[in-house]
Amino acid sequence: MPAITEPVRSAPPHRRILWLTAAVAVLLAAVLLSLTVGSRTVPFGEAVSALLHGGDTANAVVVRELRLPRTVVGLAVGAALGLAGAVMQGITRNPIAEPGILGVSQGAAAGVVFAISVLGVGSLAGYVWFGFAGAAIAAVLVYLLAGTGRGGATPVKLALAGSAMTAFIASLISTVLTTDAATMDQFRFWHVGSLAGRTSDVAWQLLPFLLVGTVLVFAVARGLDALALGDDTAKGLGARTGTTRAVGALGATVLTGSAVAAAGPIAFVGLAVPHAARALVGTDHRWVLTLSALLGPALLLLADTLGRVVFPPSEVPAGVMTALVGVPVLVALVRRKKVVAA
Amino acid sequence: MSLPLSGYSVARFGPASFLVHRRSVAVAAALLVLLSGAVVASLCLGQSTVSPASVLDVLLGRPSPDQLVVGELRLPRVTAGLLVGLALGLAGALIQTVARNPLASPDVIGVSHGASAVVVGLMAFGYVQTARQVPWVAVAGGLAAGLLVYLLAWRRGMHAQRFVLVGIGISIALSSLTSLFLTKGDGLQAQQAKVWMTGSLNGAGFDQSTWLAWVLLASVPAVLWAARAQRSISFDDSTAVGLGLRLNRIRLGMALLGIVLASCATGAAGPVDFVALMAPQIAVRLVRGAQLPLFCSALTGAVVVVLADLLARRLLAPVELPVGVVTALVGAPYLMWLLIRSRRGGS
Repeated sequence: MPAITEPVRSAPPHRRILWLTAAVAVLLAAVLLSLTVGSRTVPFGEAVSALLHGGDTANAVVVRELRLPRTVVGLAVGAALGLAGAVMQGITRNPIAEPGILGVSQGAAAGVVFAISVLGVGSLAGYVWFGFAGAAIAAVLVYLLAGTGRGGATPVKLALAGSAMTAFIASLISTVLTTDAATMDQFRFWHVGSLAGRTSDVAWQLLPFLLVGTVLVFAVARGLDALALGDDTAKGLGARTGTTRAVGALGATVLTGSAVAAAGPIAFVGLAVPHAARALVGTDHRWVLTLSALLGPALLLLADTLGRVVFPPSEVPAGVMTALVGVPVLVALVRRKKVVAA
Repeated sequence: MSLPLSGYSVARFGPASFLVHRRSVAVAAALLVLLSGAVVASLCLGQSTVSPASVLDVLLGRPSPDQLVVGELRLPRVTAGLLVGLALGLAGALIQTVARNPLASPDVIGVSHGASAVVVGLMAFGYVQTARQVPWVAVAGGLAAGLLVYLLAWRRGMHAQRFVLVGIGISIALSSLTSLFLTKGDGLQAQQAKVWMTGSLNGAGFDQSTWLAWVLLASVPAVLWAARAQRSISFDDSTAVGLGLRLNRIRLGMALLGIVLASCATGAAGPVDFVALMAPQIAVRLVRGAQLPLFCSALTGAVVVVLADLLARRLLAPVELPVGVVTALVGAPYLMWLLIRSRRGGS
């Protein structure tokens, strides 16, 4: 089985603190950019005062009514995807595991489509549960598919199983949508993976799910460290590998499902971010998870902000931008030899 | 003196003689029969059902009351599907032969996505306006994407798994670019591009078929060359080099031919996924040969697309699904099955 085989390697404590501080700073900068940059550029000072003191100027209204909700949803979704990616890489011991590539996001999307078209669900809080179910089913199927046969779940088999699953679900979805105009209308809003037009309700409805998911994944952080040593060693050390995997997978599912329900399938945030985190703070999962939760939203917000300015006046959905940023990361990973060793 | 080659017969035409794999000939004949059946069924069935006799009248140019429905509406569509299937099946067999890997089909390694991204991009922003321009643009896009994947995956040699992984990544990036072009293009043109992207064979005319037919005809000599070369590259590298074969040149030629065929098919019908992956694998199991059979793969591809299109039209009638949806619904589980059965981690 291919693995992130380094032994648990940790950066010296002061260096980790340094990177953590830097990540917080980058995230703050991303939030500020997200609040101020767009078709209307708002000066930093005005943006901050609009948040703190309100105000009725056009700039203040744009910041509070449009940019703030969008930024908050970006924070939540980015953190969820970063955490989900880190956990999925940990439990599969596979460097390319990621909700988008493995078809989990597409599964969540299928769940949402089912909810809209068959059951007539119309609210985010309703979508979320179906997002969870879809994500869980897709995740289990893909992992089973990739894991059968000799060699276990190698990166290539995971990626192929994921893309087969994605293509299959995508055609199921388009079968439903071509016959159902009303569902198509609701679906279009989020299927491109976009933060545009999200209201602050979305963020509030998402919050409890995010918290549960985060607690679950942090609860298995030590177990993931043990898993990284290989199943046998982990068992020898007394780690409960089955429980770790189950709880971790549940956490990843809840996080992915809620992220997809809120913003549509956004690929590659969960791939790139944990690798960056691991490069900075070592392989201790408590640190990797923490840093992923900070860098995920930073990446997503930067992608979203960039998408607002590259083709003015129209916007590029964040999901497209993250794919364009994420593919070079995937290629770089694949070119590193140990990833391919099957 | 005769060589002890089981399963082969020698066909002689005057001074020329060929080795003929008997089972391949039988399979090809069976596939032709099946294909004719599928074509006739596809011409008969639809909103209104037409009798096979009447279809035959139309095909033979005899006066028939169903001239409009069969001749003007269904025939162009079935022809397009047939040609697209032939091209995709052939392309899949060529590229899988070069890659020695059933997973490295043109849709997995980014060729089809490259072709459709470039076509949709240029169409949505008004640079491509006539059907005549589409094939050139599609081929350019397919070649560029194939080259990109190849270069990115090359690292002191080519590794099949690295190739597939890079291909999947590039495909994801290209399809998100495609959806970007669809949402950002200029109104009417973007609408047109969207129809092309999902419409597949809905409303396909003889325009698409004509140039695809020319491309296929023009590629016949190249395909015959590839069929001969195929046997020689089935040796392992050192044997082939010892025999004086220019392996890399042969592989490059076959890959280019495959990419051009796949891109042209994509240009004609939009992305029809999984046919290039499935057809050669089905064909090789039917023929039970050592190599992927080029001719039978092409026929299998045609059967798959014509039947899939028939399903796409009838499954949710009166709504017509894009044919690519049906091929994906069938092809994706097939790819999964291939993965489960793969004994060596997909290589």
